[in-house]
Amino acid sequence: MASVTEGFAPIALEGGQKARGNLTKARIRWVIAALLVVFGIVGGRLVQLGTVVQDSTIEGQARDVITASRPPILDRNGLEMAVDIRVPSLFAEPRRIIDVDEAIEAIRTVLPDLSVDFLRQRLSGDRGFVWLKRELTPAVQDKIMGLGIPGLDFLTESKRFYPGGREVSHVMGAVNIDNQGIAGIERHMDTSQDIALLQSLGLARDAALAPVSLSLDMRVQHVMYEQLKDTLTRYKAIAAAGVIVDVHTGEVLALASLPDFDPNDPASALEKDSFNRITSGIFELGSTFKTVTFAAALDSGKVRMSDSFDARFGIRFGRFTIDDFHGKHRVLSVPEIYKYSSNIGTIKIMQELGKDEFRDFLTKLGFDKRVPFELPEMRNPSVPAKFSEIVAATASFGHGLSVSPLHMAVAVSAFVNGGNYVPPTLYHRDQAEAESLYSRVISPQTSASIRYLMRLNALEGSGTRMNAMADGYRVGGKTGTAEKVVNGRYANGKNLNVFASAFPLDDPKYAMVILVDEPQAENERSGTTAGWNAGEVTGRIVQRIAPMLGIRPEFGEMIEQAMIPAQLR
Amino acid sequence: MIKTINVILAITSVCALVWVYALKYQVEETAQEKVSLQAHIERQEGQLSLLQADWAALTQPGHIAPIVARHQASLDLAPIDQKQFSDFASLPMRPTAPDTQAMDALFEALATGVDPADNLTVGN
Repeated sequence: MASVTEGFAPIALEGGQKARGNLTKARIRWVIAALLVVFGIVGGRLVQLGTVVQDSTIEGQARDVITASRPPILDRNGLEMAVDIRVPSLFAEPRRIIDVDEAIEAIRTVLPDLSVDFLRQRLSGDRGFVWLKRELTPAVQDKIMGLGIPGLDFLTESKRFYPGGREVSHVMGAVNIDNQGIAGIERHMDTSQDIALLQSLGLARDAALAPVSLSLDMRVQHVMYEQLKDTLTRYKAIAAAGVIVDVHTGEVLALASLPDFDPNDPASALEKDSFNRITSGIFELGSTFKTVTFAAALDSGKVRMSDSFDARFGIRFGRFTIDDFHGKHRVLSVPEIYKYSSNIGTIKIMQELGKDEFRDFLTKLGFDKRVPFELPEMRNPSVPAKFSEIVAATASFGHGLSVSPLHMAVAVSAFVNGGNYVPPTLYHRDQAEAESLYSRVISPQTSASIRYLMRLNALEGSGTRMNAMADGYRVGGKTGTAEKVVNGRYANGKNLNVFASAFPLDDPKYAMVILVDEPQAENERSGTTAGWNAGEVTGRIVQRIAPMLGIRPEFGEMIEQAMIPAQLR
Repeated sequence: MIKTINVILAITSVCALVWVYALKYQVEETAQEKVSLQAHIERQEGQLSLLQADWAALTQPGHIAPIVARHQASLDLAPIDQKQFSDFASLPMRPTAPDTQAMDALFEALATGVDPADNLTVGN
């Protein structure tokens, strides 16, 4: 440096310094540029990585939806009625499969039911994901793993399992292969409890879902199911159904309908006649409807328990004459009309009340629309909007209008619980919550009279066979034997038998409706009317379930006497 | 001065390199362990769900009832009858004086080998 500065003039020195300065500046610029390029590349790569969308869908569905689970369903005692089990599902990545033919051959050694054509169509091509077979067993999984074929793998899916099987089929409903509810309470949970929403967001994971507790009691449900199955063989009936409702809270304790299906095999739900007769079947419920007529008339005050009606002659409407099945043909008191199930007497009672008042009462009981209930399988009842004289007359003993057995169960609950209508439910409901839903349909005094009439019918009327079986449990009810309409005519010998009951009638807790379709006589000496089949089934069920439900048998005149209303003492 | 700093920096970077690589492998190992643990948990959860489903199926009334029916005779089981319920209030009051005649009859019956309790089958 020194030699350079000595030999040259200051200007030259300045020039040299300047030149070096310029060179440094240029170098710095180059370095900056290089750095910018490098950082640009790094930044660009980052942006590129950030915008890559990972395809996590499986054949158009989000992986989370497929692996989504559902909350377990418990009965009121905590017994599991529906649980999720983890099962492996086999999928393939065709683009990773080397030899398709070899793979097909190997797979078919373990899963012979998959056809060669199906496998070839699935495994060839360049797709990233195809299902081969879903919901396998761990044993099959191990075998396929043992084959060592590249491009095959398993995904753990949740599969719905119903330990109760057929016993709870109509309540549970079914789910599809993607674990979405398609029927029964499963469908209801998806729509009302937002399980479907959770599943679609991928939040429906094992522990995240609290168990859903139903009002059903598996023990009671089992007894009901067993007895209904017995009905099909004992009376050679084509169908049978039953429902038990807590009269104070509206909780459904048991609900069964035969023929049924296996919820573990949803395809069986498509079988003929396996619909839920309790909610989605509407029937002419026959004489059980007389309870409704009596409740309406007694509550209006126009008919009193101490009244009598002339039932000597049939009632004529044009060319039709309505007569009694078990005709007494004399003047009958109100309890006698109920006891002997007199059509004439019931029509007279309804006429005393007035047909429009009778129609209004049906509206009050909710017979115009579907029962507000969780199960989606429902059908609109068929009740004429306006009653003519003859329609009102036939309606008073349960013909010419169709409602579901659940309608009747709810109506009976209201009649015996002190007169409060409470909508039924399949979920837990306590007394306080139920009371907020109460709407009064009849007075407590009328309710007491109806309880007496139902008990009287069990002691002296058509319910004696039932009462003999459930002796001590103070069951009472009304039979209904309705001739079925076949091709627009009432078919002789084809009956739909119903028994609508409640127990224990001194302090009612449960209402039950049993329906037996086209029963035949058990033996030569037995009959085919409702008391012989629907009534007997009710008796057997009560005999079994009353101890489970904590109802003590009581015997003695005292209890029966206490039920007689003051007007009749 | 600059030399020492350079040497220190070089040594530091070599150390950092070794450390980062060690960390990387350690993390990979931990991730591997996590994945295998997760698979293990998943497998066990799957087995647990199967066992739970088994338990639920085996405790269903519909599963127990046939077993009860099968062993009804050997275990002397029967559905409860209404007559079998009772309480303290329905017990008869204690007699004011012992019924000597009945006691004598009982002892005589026992002496002859007839136990009246055998005839007291429920429901008759």
